[in-house]
Amino acid sequence: MASSIVGSVYRFRWLLFELVYRDIALRYRGSVLGFLWTILNPLLAMLVYTLVFSVFLRVAIPHYPLFLLSGLLPWIWFASSIAMGATSIVDGRIYVSRSVFAPVLLVMVPICSNLVNFILSVPLFFALAAFFGAPLGLPLLFLPVIVAIQFILLLAIVLMLATYNVFYRDLQQLMVTILSLIFYLAPIFYPLESVPSNFRPFVFLNPMAALVVAYQDIFYYDRFPSLRLMGYAFLVSIVLLLIGMRVFDRYKDAFADYA
Amino acid sequence: MTGDSIVAEHVNKRFRIVRIPKAISLKEAVITRQLFKRPPRDELCVDALKDVSFSVKRGEMLGVVGRNGSGKTTLMRVLGGIYKPDSGTVSIVGGYAPLLSLGLGFHPDMSGRENIKMNGLILGLSPREIEHRLDEIVDFAELREYLDVPLRMYSSGMYMRLAFSVAITIDPEVLLLDEVLAVGDALFVAKCVEKMREFRHSGKTIVFVSHDGLSVKAWCDRALWMEAGALRMAGTSEDVVTAYDSHAKLAVAERELLRAIE
Repeated sequence: MASSIVGSVYRFRWLLFELVYRDIALRYRGSVLGFLWTILNPLLAMLVYTLVFSVFLRVAIPHYPLFLLSGLLPWIWFASSIAMGATSIVDGRIYVSRSVFAPVLLVMVPICSNLVNFILSVPLFFALAAFFGAPLGLPLLFLPVIVAIQFILLLAIVLMLATYNVFYRDLQQLMVTILSLIFYLAPIFYPLESVPSNFRPFVFLNPMAALVVAYQDIFYYDRFPSLRLMGYAFLVSIVLLLIGMRVFDRYKDAFADYA
Repeated sequence: MTGDSIVAEHVNKRFRIVRIPKAISLKEAVITRQLFKRPPRDELCVDALKDVSFSVKRGEMLGVVGRNGSGKTTLMRVLGGIYKPDSGTVSIVGGYAPLLSLGLGFHPDMSGRENIKMNGLILGLSPREIEHRLDEIVDFAELREYLDVPLRMYSSGMYMRLAFSVAITIDPEVLLLDEVLAVGDALFVAKCVEKMREFRHSGKTIVFVSHDGLSVKAWCDRALWMEAGALRMAGTSEDVVTAYDSHAKLAVAERELLRAIE
């Protein structure tokens, strides 16, 4: 089961590159600022959130824009991958129903192209850190590990959502609502410390919240992330991935009939 | 180079077709007290393939004839691996067979070049292998000056030339052609026939769907006659096409007769 998914990704790796490239290129085709939007969008969001939370609501966090961005950028990767991933198989029906095509590639495209966007926006952290004179150091070595865990988590979630969305299109509507709600529950605007300790397990029901905290550790606090939290996120992601691959494998032969 | 290249055994495929429910207004729903009732599921089951078994030898060209809706295209899609049969098995030498059919597999907004690349990648070729074959594909299709034009600007004949060139250049063990040659001009079709002959001489197999009994008779060794999802007849293309044609003529004559009586 796992080997068939890994096998088709490997066999069609060139196709995956091409699809990801196309996804990114098409997104900005015809816009004047083009690729700059990848950075401008979160910057605009950062300005508004900083005004609301740091100035109006007076959340007491120094260098608030840096704090905010260290959770917000990974969240944008998370949320856009899920929103685009949920409809990926339905949107890719031209491929699924008309040629022999490994549908797992369609699921991976939004995750990969949003990952590229995320990586390209990482220099923003350095710019902001330099601006505020905040240190960024060795804990950054953990970035690939956190990114890898988030990739597994996303793959798991999107495999399930994209599969069920072929049969129940309600999911794509539901996901937009759920994503915007759990956005407020993840400690992105506010530090984890301001969540009462008996509520914290509840916050971490969303494994992405644990990863957000880890990103803040390396980008904002300049400290090593908690191995317990990362281990937790990793375990949950792996279990979800096993379930996701099972679900996907079970229904993938019916995609051409329904998509 | 002997043996079967395609073996299909007891293949069944059923589609559940959902009819789109007629929209009713909210007012109507309240008045008729249907608001919270589930609309009845309007489903229709169609047996697109019923217990179809046949085999094709290497180097053979098989024709498939039958009326619209008899299951020809479904059969081709099952052979091409796009649809999974509900029961029964299909085995194909080389593991896959590219299916050529008008309007399939190509992206209208991409250029000819991009589509060639995408198609090759979908078939598992590397960018280098595709680059290698690009010239051959473009020369055969005679589309060099249209290479960077989006496909929606192509005529159906140009489209078919591109599709045929890509598929034959990729050099699979089995090639499936669904009605594609119908839109080519005589000169290009002659070129295709020549190419198909070479293809078969190297021990490769072609399955060919057409309404045109004459070309099935002329090009194919054997033929299948599909009717309502089932195999009505299999045999030499000569026999099958003759039977199919006389059946069709009979049906037309019968209708004319009925009309005359009325």
